Amino acid sequence: MLRKSLFNVLAVLAILSFVLTACASSGGESPEAPAGGDGPQVTSSGFECPEPNPRVEVTSTELNIFVWTEYFPQDMLDCFELVYGIQLNRDEYSSNEEMYAKVSAGGTAYDLVQPTDYIVPLMIRQELLQELDHSKLPLMGNFDPNWMDQPFDPGNKYSVPYLAGTDALIVNTATVENVPTSWADLWNPEYAGRMVFLDDSRAVIGLTLVTLGYDPNTTDPAQLEEAKNKLAELVPNIKLFDSDSPKTALIAGDVDLGMTWTGEAFIANQENPDIQYIYPEEGPVLWQDNWVMLKDAAHADAAYAWLSYTMQGDVFWLTIRDFQYTNPNQAALEYAKANQPEVYSAYADSPIANPPADAVAKGFGIEDVGDATPLYDNIWVEIKGGN
Amino acid sequence: MLQRLRENKSMQGTLLALPTTLWLFVLLIIPLFLTLVVSFGQRSPDGDVIYSFGLHNYIRLFGYSTDCANGQASCFDPLYVNILSRSLSLAFNTTVIVIMMAYPLAYFIARSNPNRRNMFLFMVLIPLWTNFVIRVYAWMMLLRKEGAINIILGWLASGFNVIFAPLAGWFPEMAGVFHINFVPLELLYTPGAVLVGMVYEFLPFMILPIYTSLEKIDNSLYEAAADLGANAFRTFLRVTLPLSMPGVVAGTILVFIPVMGTFIVSDILGGRQVILVGNLIQRQFLDARDPTFGSAASLILMVMTLIVTYFYTRKFGFGEEIIAA
Amino acid sequence: MNPHRRSPWVIAAATFVYFFLYAPIVVLILYSFNASRANVKFEGFISSFSDRVEMDGSYVVASPCGPFHWYCDLSKNDDVMEAAGNTLTIAVTATLAATTIGTMAALALQRYDFKIKPFSQLSLYIPIVIPEIVMGIGILTLFSQAFGWLNEALNLVGDARLALGIGTVTVSHIAFMVPFVTLVVQARLQGFDKSYEEAAMDLGANEWTTFWRVTFPMILPGVLSGALLAFTLSLDDFVITFFTNGPGSTTLPIYVYGLLRRIITPQVNALSTVWILTVFIAVMLLQWLQSREQKPAHS
Repeated sequence: MLRKSLFNVLAVLAILSFVLTACASSGGESPEAPAGGDGPQVTSSGFECPEPNPRVEVTSTELNIFVWTEYFPQDMLDCFELVYGIQLNRDEYSSNEEMYAKVSAGGTAYDLVQPTDYIVPLMIRQELLQELDHSKLPLMGNFDPNWMDQPFDPGNKYSVPYLAGTDALIVNTATVENVPTSWADLWNPEYAGRMVFLDDSRAVIGLTLVTLGYDPNTTDPAQLEEAKNKLAELVPNIKLFDSDSPKTALIAGDVDLGMTWTGEAFIANQENPDIQYIYPEEGPVLWQDNWVMLKDAAHADAAYAWLSYTMQGDVFWLTIRDFQYTNPNQAALEYAKANQPEVYSAYADSPIANPPADAVAKGFGIEDVGDATPLYDNIWVEIKGGN
Repeated sequence: MLQRLRENKSMQGTLLALPTTLWLFVLLIIPLFLTLVVSFGQRSPDGDVIYSFGLHNYIRLFGYSTDCANGQASCFDPLYVNILSRSLSLAFNTTVIVIMMAYPLAYFIARSNPNRRNMFLFMVLIPLWTNFVIRVYAWMMLLRKEGAINIILGWLASGFNVIFAPLAGWFPEMAGVFHINFVPLELLYTPGAVLVGMVYEFLPFMILPIYTSLEKIDNSLYEAAADLGANAFRTFLRVTLPLSMPGVVAGTILVFIPVMGTFIVSDILGGRQVILVGNLIQRQFLDARDPTFGSAASLILMVMTLIVTYFYTRKFGFGEEIIAA
Repeated sequence: MNPHRRSPWVIAAATFVYFFLYAPIVVLILYSFNASRANVKFEGFISSFSDRVEMDGSYVVASPCGPFHWYCDLSKNDDVMEAAGNTLTIAVTATLAATTIGTMAALALQRYDFKIKPFSQLSLYIPIVIPEIVMGIGILTLFSQAFGWLNEALNLVGDARLALGIGTVTVSHIAFMVPFVTLVVQARLQGFDKSYEEAAMDLGANEWTTFWRVTFPMILPGVLSGALLAFTLSLDDFVITFFTNGPGSTTLPIYVYGLLRRIITPQVNALSTVWILTVFIAVMLLQWLQSREQKPAHS
C-alpha cells in the first residue's frame, strides 16, 4: 500500500544521503601533506603548486574564511589545501555591511574575513579583531609600501592588504549614444531605466556628495540631506541594484550603463569590448580589501599559514591571471613580469586594472564616519524604499 | 515508580508532549520574546543593541517622523507604511491570481479518472520539489531582455512581418499596421516580474488543498443536484463551491503568509528595487545594521499576518485540509 | 451523468496552468546544454566531443563531454557534492527527530488531558502562521546571544566553541517541521476507531503491545505522510537555513543562491536539471512501487 512505498522511498533517500556524505567528506578530506621529496602537488587544472616558503607549523585541520564572491583563483584555494592538508571552508558575502552584521552578531566560526578599508576601524572599535603577530608573517615585505600603513590601520596592526581597485562608470558604448564622462552625467534623464548601480550605500551616497562638491565622508546633516534629495531623483532611473555580479546584466543587455568595480568591468570588457570602463571627472572611488583575523578564531595557526602562503609572489600572481584588480603585492608583480609576461602585460597595459595616475589623484576613498553611520544608513533605506 | 506512571494518565500525556513543547518553547517562543525585547531597544552608533524600553521603533514604522521637509516639528512619513501596504497588496494580488489558476486545475484533477489522478498530482508536485531558488532563477531566464519570452515574441513578430510584408509593400502609408517593430519587452526587474515569480512559487500550495476538498465531494451529491434539475453552473455554485471552501481557505493561508515574508523573489526578480516587508527586515539586519528597527518590523509583520489570518478564518473556517497528504 | 465529464473550459484552463508550471523548467533544462558560457541567449548545442571548443567568440574550453559539457563541469565541483550531502544529512536527521517527537505529541494531544495541553496545542500553530523570516531572525538572535554567553561562561575555545553550523541548522529545521508532523498525525488520529485497541486489551495485551501491534500500524500512513511532508520542507528550506548556517554547513538551496551571485554559467542549469531528474526518478519509483502493490488485488 501507500505506506510501504513511502517507506521504501524514505529508506532509499536515507541511504543516498549517507552515501553522499561519505563521498563528500572523503572527497573533501585533506590529502596528506607531502612527506617531502614527493614532487610538487598539482591541482585538477594542471597547475603546479609552489612550495610554502617559509613553511608554517600547523596543527589545525580546517580553516574557515568569510570572503567576497568571485575573488579567489581556484588554483590558489586548491594549492593551499594540497600543500598543507588543511580543509578550507569558504562562505561568501557581497557587502561589507552584511559581513559586519553577521560577524558582530556573534556565534559565527570564521577565522579570517576581508573587510574593505572603512570597515576595519569599526571592527577594531568593536573589538572583533585580534592583532596580527608580524613575526609569523615574514613575507609582509612583499607588499608595495603605498598600500601599507594606511590611516584606517596604522602600522598594519590588524590587517594585511589583499587586492585593491576602483568604482567607476561602465558604459556599453554600442547602445549608449551620449557617453557619460562624470558621475553627475548619470542624472541625465535619457539614461532612465537603463542603469545598474552597486548596492553599496557608502559608495553611492559618496558619489552623490561629490557631485554636489562636498566631502564624500561628510558628517554634516545638512549636506547629507541635500545628497539624499539629489539621490532620490536618481533612484527611479536605476533599473537594478547589484553588488553580486553587475556585469551579468550588462552583458545580457538588460542595462546599458551604470557604475561597477574593477574586476567586473574587466570581465565585462572581455566578453564584450564595447563595454568600457570610464573614470569620471570627479574621480573614481578608491578602495582596498584587507585580511583581518577575528578575535576568537579557532584556527589561528592555519590562518597564519594561509596568509603567509598567499603572500608569496609565486602564488599571489594567480590573482593577476584570473581576476584583474589592482595588485599591491610587488613580489607577485615581479614574478609575473619575469615568468608570465603575457599575463603581466595584460595587467600592466590595462587601464582598468592599472588606473592612470590622474584618475587615482582625483579619486576618493570611503572612510569610517563613526557616529554618523546611522545617518548614511537611514538615507539608504529611505531612498530605496520610497518607490 | 513505573507503576505510578502507568496509572497517572495526565503525567503520561505531559511526558509525551514534553519534547515537542520544549523544542518549540526554546526555538520559537523565546526567540519571539527576544525579538520583542530587542524591538524596544535603541541602536548604538555601530549597530549594536542598547537594551532599554522605548516605542520609538514602532512609532517610526507607522510614520511619525521628526525629520520634516518644511521645518515642522513632526509630520507623517509614509515610507514604511507604503512598504507594509505594498506587501499587503502583493500578497492579496498573488493569492487571488493563484486561486483563479489553481481552482480549474484542482477541479480538473479531482474529476478525472481515479487511475490517472496520482499522475496528475505528481505532475503538480514535481515543480514544487525542485528547489525554491532554482524556480526563481528559471524565471530570470525567461524574463530577461534576451530571454525566452522575448525571443519567442520576436519570432512571432518577424513571422507576422514576413506574412504581411507584401501588404506593407502595397500600402506604404499603412506600413505601421503591417509591420511590427519589435522592441524587446522590459520584463525583468519590475514589480510585475515579482508578482509572476510569487504566483509561480506558491501555485502548488493552493492546488493541493483545493484538490483535497474537491475530491471529498461525494459523486452522489452531483447526481442528486442533476436529478433536482440543476444545470452545471448552478451545481457548481450551490454544491461544489461551498464544499470546496475549506480547501480554498487552507490554500490561502499557505500562500498569503509566505508571500508577506519572502525576500528572495523581490531581491532576484525585482532588482533589489521592489522593497517589501521581508526585504526591509532583511536589510535592517544585514545592511542598515539596526536590529532594533528590524525586530520591530518583524513583529509588526507577524501581527499583521495574524490579524488577517484571524479575520479570514473567522469568516471561512480554519480549513482542516491544510494537511493535503 | 458521467462523473468524469469536464467542460472544455476547465480542460483548457488546466492545460494552461500545467504549461505555466512547466515552461520555466523546460527552459532551464534546455539551457543546461547551452554552448555559451555567458548563458544569456541560447547559442545551440555543443556539437563536437573534441578537445577544444570556442564559446561566445572568445572563451575556449576543453570539452570532451560534448553537449554535456556543463554536467562534466558540475561533476568536478566538490562544493556541490558537499552541499548535497549536507542537505540530505540535515533533512534525514531532522525528519527522524521531528517525526518521533511529533507523533508522540500528537498522541498526547489527541488522547490525554494534561496541564500544559492548551499551551502545547497553541505553540504548534505558531510556526505555521509566522513568516519564515521572523522565525529565522529570532532563532539567529537566540543562538548569537546564547552562544556568546555560554562560550564565555564555560570558557570554550577553539574547535569546542559553540557556533553556527550543521547542528544549529538541523535543530532549527526540527523546530519548524514538528508542527506539520503533529498536525498530520493528529488529523489521522481523529477518525481513529478505539474499538480495535479495546479489543486487543480485552484479549490480554498490555498498553505497550497494544500500541505497537495495533495503534501504530493503523496510524502509520499518517506518520509517513507527515514525515514525507517534513522531509520536503527541509530539503527546500532557504530562509531558516540562511540565517542559521555557518562554514561547512552549506546546503543546496544556499549554494544555488551563492552561484546566482557570481558569473552565472550553465553549470547552475546542469545542477538544477540533475536535481529535477533525481526528484522525478524518486517519484516514478514511488508510482511503480504503488502499482506493484496494487496488482495482486486485480489479478
